[in-house]
Amino acid sequence: MKVEDVRVCILYIEGTNCEEESFWCFKRLGARPEKVHLKQLIGMDVHEDEKRNLLDYDVVMIPGGFSSGDYVRAGAILGARVKSSLESELVKFGKEGRPIFGVCNGFQVLVEIGLLPSFDGFMSAVPQAVLATNDSARFECRPSLLKHENSGSCVFTRKLPKGKVIVCPVAHAEGKFGLPTSEEEEMLRKMEELDMIVFRYVDPEGDYAGYFWNPNGSLDNIAGICNSEGNVFGMMPHPERVFYGYQHPDWTREEPREEGDGRVIFESVLDYVKKKF
Amino acid sequence: MRHLFREKDVPFELYEVDIISASDEELQKVSDEAGLALNVDEMHRIQTYFRSKGRNPTDVELQSLGQAWSEHCCYKSSKVFLKEYLTSIESEDVIDRGDAGVVEFDEDHAYAIRIESHNHPSAVEPYGGAATGIGGIIRDVLCMGAQPIALIDPLHFGPLDFRYRDLPKGVKHPRYLMGGVVAGIRDYGNRLGIPTVSGAVLFDEGYIGNCIINVGCVGIAKKKNLARNRVKTENDVFILVGGRTGRDGIHGVTFASVELTEDMEEEWRGGAVQLGDPILKEPLIHACLEAAERGLLNGMKDLGGGGLSCVVGEMALAGGFGAEVNLEKVPLKEEGLASWEIWVSESQERMMLAVDPKNVDEVLHIFKRYDVLATPVGNVIKDKIVRVKYEGEVVLELDLDFLTAGPEYCRPFVTEFESMKRKETPLDEPEDYAEAILGVLASQNVSSKEWVIRQYDHEIRASTILKPLQGRIGLACHGDAVVMKPLEHSNRSLAVTTATTPQYTAIDPYLGGASAMDEMCRNLVAVGGRPHSFSNCLSFGNPEKPDRLGAFRETVRGIGEIASELGLPVPSGNVSFYNETSFAPVKPTPVILGIGIVEDFMKCVTADFKKEGSLIYIIGETKKEMGGSEYYRLRGGFSPAVPSVDVNSLKSSIGAILSVIDDGLVRACHDVSHGGLAVAISEMCLGGDIGANVDLSAINDLRFDYKLFSESNTRWLLEVDPAAEKNLLSKLSGLEVRKIGEVSGNSLSFSNNGKKTELSLRDVRKAWTNTLYELMGGMA
Repeated sequence: MKVEDVRVCILYIEGTNCEEESFWCFKRLGARPEKVHLKQLIGMDVHEDEKRNLLDYDVVMIPGGFSSGDYVRAGAILGARVKSSLESELVKFGKEGRPIFGVCNGFQVLVEIGLLPSFDGFMSAVPQAVLATNDSARFECRPSLLKHENSGSCVFTRKLPKGKVIVCPVAHAEGKFGLPTSEEEEMLRKMEELDMIVFRYVDPEGDYAGYFWNPNGSLDNIAGICNSEGNVFGMMPHPERVFYGYQHPDWTREEPREEGDGRVIFESVLDYVKKKF
Repeated sequence: MRHLFREKDVPFELYEVDIISASDEELQKVSDEAGLALNVDEMHRIQTYFRSKGRNPTDVELQSLGQAWSEHCCYKSSKVFLKEYLTSIESEDVIDRGDAGVVEFDEDHAYAIRIESHNHPSAVEPYGGAATGIGGIIRDVLCMGAQPIALIDPLHFGPLDFRYRDLPKGVKHPRYLMGGVVAGIRDYGNRLGIPTVSGAVLFDEGYIGNCIINVGCVGIAKKKNLARNRVKTENDVFILVGGRTGRDGIHGVTFASVELTEDMEEEWRGGAVQLGDPILKEPLIHACLEAAERGLLNGMKDLGGGGLSCVVGEMALAGGFGAEVNLEKVPLKEEGLASWEIWVSESQERMMLAVDPKNVDEVLHIFKRYDVLATPVGNVIKDKIVRVKYEGEVVLELDLDFLTAGPEYCRPFVTEFESMKRKETPLDEPEDYAEAILGVLASQNVSSKEWVIRQYDHEIRASTILKPLQGRIGLACHGDAVVMKPLEHSNRSLAVTTATTPQYTAIDPYLGGASAMDEMCRNLVAVGGRPHSFSNCLSFGNPEKPDRLGAFRETVRGIGEIASELGLPVPSGNVSFYNETSFAPVKPTPVILGIGIVEDFMKCVTADFKKEGSLIYIIGETKKEMGGSEYYRLRGGFSPAVPSVDVNSLKSSIGAILSVIDDGLVRACHDVSHGGLAVAISEMCLGGDIGANVDLSAINDLRFDYKLFSESNTRWLLEVDPAAEKNLLSKLSGLEVRKIGEVSGNSLSFSNNGKKTELSLRDVRKAWTNTLYELMGGMA
C-alpha cells in the first residue's frame, strides 16, 4: 500500500496530551493520521459522522500524557476502558500484524491492557510487568540516550541499526520498568530470547549506567520493549519530540541537521505497513 | 447595635440588609460581617445608590459589589499610575487587551500573554494555591481563543535554610512552601500538557511571611479564531462550561486584598483557596478551542476572581447590554449553597461562553463529546442591568454602570526612601578569590535551578526549540530565554523570558523597575530575539501605607519609561497589593514576562561555550554598582548604588547584538546578571563543559571583586570564532566592547592586574549544581 493510504489512529481521552506532536510525526511522513477520541470508537455521545471503527486503521498509537490524571495508577483507567469496550477489535487488529504503538503513558496503557510484554498469547489477562514510580520519586524531564538492542523483530525500529545510540527525552514520574520478582530472571531471559527488548538507557560512552542516565531505575536499563511478534511496541522516552534535529537539546552545538533521532521509528513502522499490506 | 441582616420570606436562604438607615459604624460592621473588605466611604456610595432605589440590598447584591470593588478586581489603588506609565504605551501590534493581551505574531497569527500572582493562596496552601494559579492564567489565555503553549513561573521564598525557631507564628517554612508550590505547578502543568519553560526562583528574608508566586502563560491563535471577552448580540445565551460550583474559593479576591495574618490558616479551611482539577481543564481547553475554531462562539471569558458575579457583568457591559442569570441552573458540587455563594464562588475550571441561540445545541454537543459539563444559565438582555434569579425570585438587580464603576483612588505616597540615602558599607577585598567565586555560585539565588526545572515537563508539544537548560547533554547551564516554535510551517518563533529585581527595588524602586526591563531585554537579545511586548506582575505591600505605594509608583515609572523609550507595549498585567504580614512587607517585586520575536530560530544561539580557542568578549560597561548584588548580600555589605540604566545605550546594544547574531558571528551569548561576570562565565563553561582563561585588566581600573561581581546592566558575554573577530568588531563599533579571554582547557581562571585565581571545572560544577538538591532533597 502507499504511504498516503496508511491510516493512523491517534487515540486520546481526557488527560492524553501528546496527541498533537504525535499526529504531526506521521503527517510529515505523508501518512493519514487522525486524532480519535475513545468515544468515537465506542460510539458514545457522538454524531453519526464522528463515529470511527478501529479496524479501518492500519496503525494505532496511544500517545503520552496523563490519561484520566494517572489516578489509580498510570495508564490503569484508559487501559481498563479500552479493554472493556474494544478488546475483540484490538485483538483482531493486532493479530493481523497491524502495529500498535505506545509512548510514555501509552506504554503504561499497553502494559495495563496486557499487550506488553504478554508472555502467553497476544493479550495477557492481567498485567505482567509494571512501570513503577521513578527511583528519584519525582517527575523527571531530561534527555536520555537509548541504545538499540533489537535484532529485527520490532517493526518500529527495523531501519535503525542494532547497537546505535539515539537521543530521546524522557518526561515521566512512573517509568521504572519491572517484572514480578519471583519470575524476574526467567522473564528477562525469555524477553532476550524472543528479541523483545528494543531500547536500553546508556551513558554518552554507550555503557549501561545508573541515575541519571537511567532516569528512573528501570530493571536492566530497559526503556522500551515489544511483544514477541514485534508489532506491539512501547517505550517511555518520547521519539515524537525529536523528529527534527533542532528539537535535540544540544542542536546549537553542531552543524544543524534536518533529521532528529526519533524520526526513524515513525519511518520504520510506515515502511513496514507499506510493504506488508 | 441592631441586627441588620433580615431573613427574607422565600423558600431558600436570602437576607435583606438594612443599610439605608445604617450609621457609619453599622456600615463598617456590615462590611466586616459579610467579609466584603470595603471601607466606610465605599459603603456610603452603596447606601446612596440603594436610597435612590428606595430599597435595601440583598446579601447577594452586597457580596457582588464587594467582589467587583475589591482591589483585586478593580485596581482602585494602582490604576492611576498604570494609566500614566504603562497602559498608555501604544503599539500597532497590539490587537486586544482582554484577560490576556493579544499581539500580532505574523500576518495570520497572534500570540496572547499574561502574568499574574497567586501569592496569598500559595502562602497558606502552597500545592493547591500554585496549581490553581496555573489553572487561572491558562484560562486567561484560553478565553482569547488562543492555544496555551508555554507556562512561566517566577517564585520568591524565604531562605531555604531559615531557622525553624525564628519563624513567626502561623508562618510556614520556605522549604515546605517551595516543595508544595513546585509540586503544584508540576502536577497541574504536566497533566495539562502545557510546557513550563521559564521562571526564576529567588530567596530573601523579606518573603518569609508572604511568598510571591507568579504564574504566566503564552498562547498562540489564528487571528480569525480570536475570541472577545464580551457578549455580541441581544439574543446571546450564556453557557457555563467546565467544573461544578462549590464552596471552594469563596472570597478569594477579598482574601487577596487584605494583609495576611496568623489566622490565615482558618481562611483556607474556610474555603478561600480553590481546588484545581487539571484533568477537567485538559478537555475543557480542547472543547473551547474547537468551538472557537468552528465559529460557534460570540464571546468567551474565564471565571476567575469573583466568579460568576464578575464574569457576567463584565461580559455584558463590554458588549453594551445587560444580563439575566438563573442561579438554580448552575451545576453544584454539593447541595445547600446559599445563592450569594453560588454567585461569588471561585471554583476552578469554569468558563463562560456567549453563544448565538442557533449554535447552542452544537456547542453543547462538543462539550458532551469531551465529557465536559455545559449548561445554559442565562441570557443577554437589552437593559444595562444584571438581574439574578434563584428559583424564580429576583435576588439581585443592579445597574451595570454602578456595579462595575469601582472606586479609583489617588492615595498619598512618598518617593523619598531611606535606603537611597544610607551610606555604603566598605568591604575589604577578599583574600581568597576562589572561595568568593564558589560562594556566590553556591548561593541559593545563583545556583542551579535544575531541581525545579526537571520536575516540569518543559518540552511537551515538542515546540521548545531552545530549552531552559542549555549545553551538552546532561551538563547543561541556565539559558537566558527559551524559544518556542508555535507553528508547523514557519520558522518564526517566540523568545520567552522573565526578569525579577526585588533586590534593587528594595533600595531604589525606580532603578529596580528600569533594571527589570533591562534584564528582560538582555535575556531576549542573548538568544536572538527582538523584544516585542511584555506583561508584568507587580507584587507590593499595603497601598494604604504611603511608602509602599511610593515604591510601587516609582517602580512603575522605571518600567514605563524604559518601555516607552523602546516602544514596547504592555497589553496585559497584574497588580497584587497587601503582600505583607505583621512580620514585614515583601520587597517590592516587579516581575516582567518578556516576549521577543525570532525571525528564524535556526539563527538562535545558546549560552554554553562551544569550541576550544574561541574568543570571549564583554559588551557594555562594568561599574561599581554593588547595591543589591548577590556578592554584597552574601558578605553583609550595603550600597545604595544599584545598577542604573542608560536607555540609549540599551537601545543601540540591542540592535547591534541582534545583528551580529543574525549574521552568524556569535557562537554563544549570555547576559551578565545575578552574581555578575564571574557567574555568567562559569555558567557558559559548565554548559559547554570546557574551561576559559579570562583577564579583566583591560576593562577598567575597578577593584578585582567589583569587576567579578558587579551586576551593572546592559552587558552581555559573547563567544566568537577568531576568524569572525574583525567583522564582529566593525558591527559593534560605538559600543563598549572588550576582549577578555578565550575558551580553553578544563579549568576556569580569572586574572586582573597581576592577581589571579584558578578553579577546576569540577569544583565550579559541584558548587553550582548541588545547593538546591541538598536543601530540598533528592539526587543530583
